Amino acid sequence: MASTGHKGAKKRRGLRHHVRTSVPRLSRFAVEHLLLLPLGALIALVWANTAPESYFTFTFAIAFGVNDVAMLFFFALMTKEVVEATAPDGVLHPWRRALLPIVASVGATAIPALIYVRAVLAFDEPMLAVLGWPVSLVTDLAIGYFVARIVFGRHPAIPFLLLLGIASDMIGFAILALLSATGERHLTGLPILAGAIAIAYGLRRARIRSFWPYLLGAGGVSWFGFFWSGLHPALALVPIVPFLPRAARDPGFFVDALPTAKDTLSQFEVWWRYPAQAALFFFGLVNAGVPIGAFEPGALGLPIAVILGKPVGVLVGAGVALLCGLPLPHKIGWRELIVGGLIASMGFSIGLFFSGALFPSGQLRSEISMGVLMSLVGAPLALAAAALLGVGRFHAEHAKERRE
Amino acid sequence: MIRSSGRRAIAFLLFALTSAAVAGQPSRSFPNRTDSLKFAAIGDNGTGDRGQYEIAGQMESAHASFAFDLVIMLGDNMYGGQTPADFVNKFERPYAALLKAGVKFQASLGNHDRPENVSYRPYNMNGERYYTYTRKNVRFFALDSTLMDAKQLEWLEAALQAAREDWKICYFHHPLYSNASRHGSSVDLRVTLEPIFVKHGVDVVFSGHDHVYERVKPQKGITYFVSGAAGQLRRGNMRPEEETAAYFDQDQSFMLAEVSGNDLYYEAISRTGKTVDSGVIHRTAR
Repeated sequence: MASTGHKGAKKRRGLRHHVRTSVPRLSRFAVEHLLLLPLGALIALVWANTAPESYFTFTFAIAFGVNDVAMLFFFALMTKEVVEATAPDGVLHPWRRALLPIVASVGATAIPALIYVRAVLAFDEPMLAVLGWPVSLVTDLAIGYFVARIVFGRHPAIPFLLLLGIASDMIGFAILALLSATGERHLTGLPILAGAIAIAYGLRRARIRSFWPYLLGAGGVSWFGFFWSGLHPALALVPIVPFLPRAARDPGFFVDALPTAKDTLSQFEVWWRYPAQAALFFFGLVNAGVPIGAFEPGALGLPIAVILGKPVGVLVGAGVALLCGLPLPHKIGWRELIVGGLIASMGFSIGLFFSGALFPSGQLRSEISMGVLMSLVGAPLALAAAALLGVGRFHAEHAKERRE
Repeated sequence: MIRSSGRRAIAFLLFALTSAAVAGQPSRSFPNRTDSLKFAAIGDNGTGDRGQYEIAGQMESAHASFAFDLVIMLGDNMYGGQTPADFVNKFERPYAALLKAGVKFQASLGNHDRPENVSYRPYNMNGERYYTYTRKNVRFFALDSTLMDAKQLEWLEAALQAAREDWKICYFHHPLYSNASRHGSSVDLRVTLEPIFVKHGVDVVFSGHDHVYERVKPQKGITYFVSGAAGQLRRGNMRPEEETAAYFDQDQSFMLAEVSGNDLYYEAISRTGKTVDSGVIHRTAR
């Protein structure tokens, strides 16, 4: 009896410790990386459907400042995470590890795109099909990471999914650069862009430790180069961030830099972390306000494409990679790939960004944005699939470990 | 007995003649002047169904007494398949008599139209998503509201600025004002387009998308029509508001209009040939 009581107390202490160590970190992550965007999106949805005239008047007035300028810092910080994690000492290194997710990402982008086009054409929305398919390629890394941590804990599937998401987004951004119609295209923008990279390289060579010259000098020129060449200027810091001097060790994916950190990249993050979150809030506010009246069946094309296409695409891509002789990471099998595919189906921030870059305001943008919001159903589906297939936290061994 | 049968026959003959006259002459409120511009407006027509053919029949009947030589198409000109056979079944066959009579169709595209349809010759779009043309004292602007990008807005500003005709009429698929419950007003487009229309003195705007007929009371000096039931129909879908001047949502419909000097006469006509709305818009000199 005493022994049972002792065991019970030990179990409770263990559970408390588990909650203390893992929940605050995830909840802090949710607050800092996830909450403001959905909050902005929720306000936008309510506002656009109750007082649409004032909503659109307000958001159109600030759209350029938010989408083309403020979002610079969000993409800069995402680039920072990717650069640190894939660098030689990063948590997603070595690159050999990245080969399989990269090959899998081809399937995870091609198959949703094919399903998207077929589905939207079947819904008799040809213009939406022709122009909107790149939205089906992308994955929201932050929300994907959050859901993956809930499902998998510290499983090897996490780096696999992050690399899959990064590779898919890179394919998406490459296609967006070719298709985006944000403005006139000028080839002279490319030498300007090269000049910006040269400035960043020069600053690095000169061992400049403040991030301001990188941001205002190289970043400013890069922004103009992107804008002038017809590429989306919110991505202007993506080629500049890798030149910022960084710490020798990567603290981990989405692990915030300490305020005392001395390296340039960490200082940049500390300075811009909260402005970037504010930008995300306004990004949700500006881009997620879709009038319900704009709904057409074509809006369902995107969720159908990503919910079906991502898991199938990941499986097919991983199968091709296996045939090419690339081994699957430890503890990852077809069940984990299906759940991972469902997690990767959520486009959210990147999906809304793509819909804004591909479509002017109007019915098509509203429809595709509705589809992006609907793709969030990937989170409960991933949890349900994980429970059904016994994956991650729901794996028999894992459950046993936790019980002990 | 004989006398009684004769009376019945005469009564039947009179009834038949009167019915035919009513069905074939929906244009009684028009001045029908020889030098005026007469045109028809159809939206959301391209179903290939019986409703589209019956509306086309009414247009043909109207044309006999009201010789319009222009049809403006308000988008969703083609639903479903858009193969060469579909263009025959959903456009060339229903409007064959009008096409044969030399009536010119000038299309704008809707969300169900394929982008490449701009090159379909009978639509007279010359490969452009948006374009302008003049008929008598009217400048028409056919816009692509499905993809209202910055380039189109820039073009529209310049084209409106350059227009010197008495009347400026814009038409496109998505309505800036609509009180049908399925879609309703495209407020995002309204916020973008209305200031441009007001600034450059647009007089009348025609749209489709909602499968009903609605005339909206003038908004900032502009009269808006929704005429999206020339093939499709969403029966009973209207939720009229204070800004609704007239509406009809019980059957398919199309519009006829005549521009004579500073007056634009209009009628909305149902599938059975009934005039469901009519009136005149008087243009005040700018």
